[in-house]
Amino acid sequence: MALIPLTAAFRGDFVVQLIPVEDTDTMEEVAEKVAAHAVDLRVAPKRMPMEVVFKEKILSPEDTVKGVGIGPMDFVEVRYADEYE
Amino acid sequence: MPRLSRSDYYDLTRDMNWHLKYVPYEEAFPKEQAGDGGGIPLDEWWKWDEPYKLTYREYMQNQADKDTMSYSVKSAISRSHLFDQVDAGWKSAIAAHYGAIAIPEYQASFGEARMARFGRAAAWRNMATFGTLDETRHGQIQLFFPHELLEKNPQFDWAHKTFHTNEWGAIAARHLFDDMFTANDALSTAIQLTFTFETGFTNLQFLGMAADAMHVGDVEFGALISSIQTDEARHSQQGEPTLKILVKNGMKDKAQHLVDVMFWRSWRIFCLLTGLSMDYYTPLEHRSMSFKEFMEEWIIKQFMDQFRDLGMKAPWYWEIFLDELNWYHHGLHLGVWFWRPTVWWNPDAGVSPAERAWLETKYPGWNDTWGRRWDVITKHARKGEIEQTLPQTLPIICNICQIPIITPSNPKRQHDLGPYTVDYNGRRYLFCSEPCKWIFEQNPSRYAGHKTVVDRFLAGEIQPPTLEGALAYMGNPQEVGGQDAENFAWALAAPTLAAAR
Repeated sequence: MALIPLTAAFRGDFVVQLIPVEDTDTMEEVAEKVAAHAVDLRVAPKRMPMEVVFKEKILSPEDTVKGVGIGPMDFVEVRYADEYE
Repeated sequence: MPRLSRSDYYDLTRDMNWHLKYVPYEEAFPKEQAGDGGGIPLDEWWKWDEPYKLTYREYMQNQADKDTMSYSVKSAISRSHLFDQVDAGWKSAIAAHYGAIAIPEYQASFGEARMARFGRAAAWRNMATFGTLDETRHGQIQLFFPHELLEKNPQFDWAHKTFHTNEWGAIAARHLFDDMFTANDALSTAIQLTFTFETGFTNLQFLGMAADAMHVGDVEFGALISSIQTDEARHSQQGEPTLKILVKNGMKDKAQHLVDVMFWRSWRIFCLLTGLSMDYYTPLEHRSMSFKEFMEEWIIKQFMDQFRDLGMKAPWYWEIFLDELNWYHHGLHLGVWFWRPTVWWNPDAGVSPAERAWLETKYPGWNDTWGRRWDVITKHARKGEIEQTLPQTLPIICNICQIPIITPSNPKRQHDLGPYTVDYNGRRYLFCSEPCKWIFEQNPSRYAGHKTVVDRFLAGEIQPPTLEGALAYMGNPQEVGGQDAENFAWALAAPTLAAAR
């Protein structure tokens, strides 16, 4: 287990934040960690699953930080699954 | 003893140039201090000509009169209770102003003094000598005035303290001003400080805020900063003659580059200080114009007219800048308010229903974007859930402007919320925008050694590595500031628009 500092933003929020995760965290856990610093603080909560986007790819919830190869200070976007351009 | 009339002696004292005979010119005017003159011949430099000329005797008389005026206004006001009655948000605006500005003014005297020694024309050195005295005045007077307010509010101690701390706003200001004048050669300083920053942007804070101050009833502050700006109007005139000589002698590209770098950096810091003060802290009924309207008048119209008259172009990122006028400072305001324990003043949320209606008229669409975020905050504030309106982590900070990264910057990039990145010598640098990234890439060795507060946190320099540790690292601004200016009274007003929809 290693602590990996990520840069992350929740779509609908306004700022990029520092979010520490474990390299063994799944994308579901990463999404929760990022959401904790945006949802119900500045983003209205929704009953909707969340997804993690890394290098323009939507990752699967079971993917892990280490497995995908997300490194220190890499950027992830977290969003509700119904958000699209 | 007969005395010469002013017209007989003036140019002799103002513009005495000579060819050096005893030392090589390059030794007396080394590039590191004087700047790279690009081989422009000395007799071209000696055509340097400022529009508004004055003698040392006139300077002393004028400045004494100005100080007499400013100090007598101050004296009259301090005998009244005028300051006690001034709006809480306004007090925040001036506490922020003093902390961000007072010591940098003094440091600007170093930049002026460098031009007074290493400017390549005597008339320029003469004007810079007055500039050195001006900036010394500005440092002193903007420390003395808040010092007298200390017994009313300990935040005014930060007029002096800020620049001696690692508070993130202090780091942003130091980084900017070191780049602009404290650690800059004389030629670059003339273009970047006196032309770009002073002819363009400082009018926003010092004249725009003076107008708001008079409306608010803060006569002392309004008189103070208008007086300061009369000095600025004089010493900022070093910029144009210097620019003209560069343009005339084949160095237009260098001049353009210097302006492009510092216009963007100035924009960033003005959004932080003036954007918040004008659109959120100044009481609604006293806002003479919005920040965007001030920018349109003072920068887009007046400054750019002058700039184009000199044969220069708008900076390459102009479309990005124009887009940001609509939203960027709103992001800074939300960030400063949410992370309010990190600042030495009490941010005024500025989002009562009436204020939100004003914001909507000045920035159509505000309620649909920023308003939605403030709706969530308002909901918690109304329920007294203040902990939900405070941060639990750090924002990522740009490696150039030292300001948190608001998403997204380029309007053509709305789909991508991530920072701009550069990998340089094995280290990753993060930026808020294309122009900040470009500034780094133009001269990486100048900036690469510096660490943002977040870099320092990750490197273990902030102990303990907690929010409390970070606040202590920043000088504990929350001990004097960091509260909502109105103690959430705005949240208890009429229902939010969301509830009404």
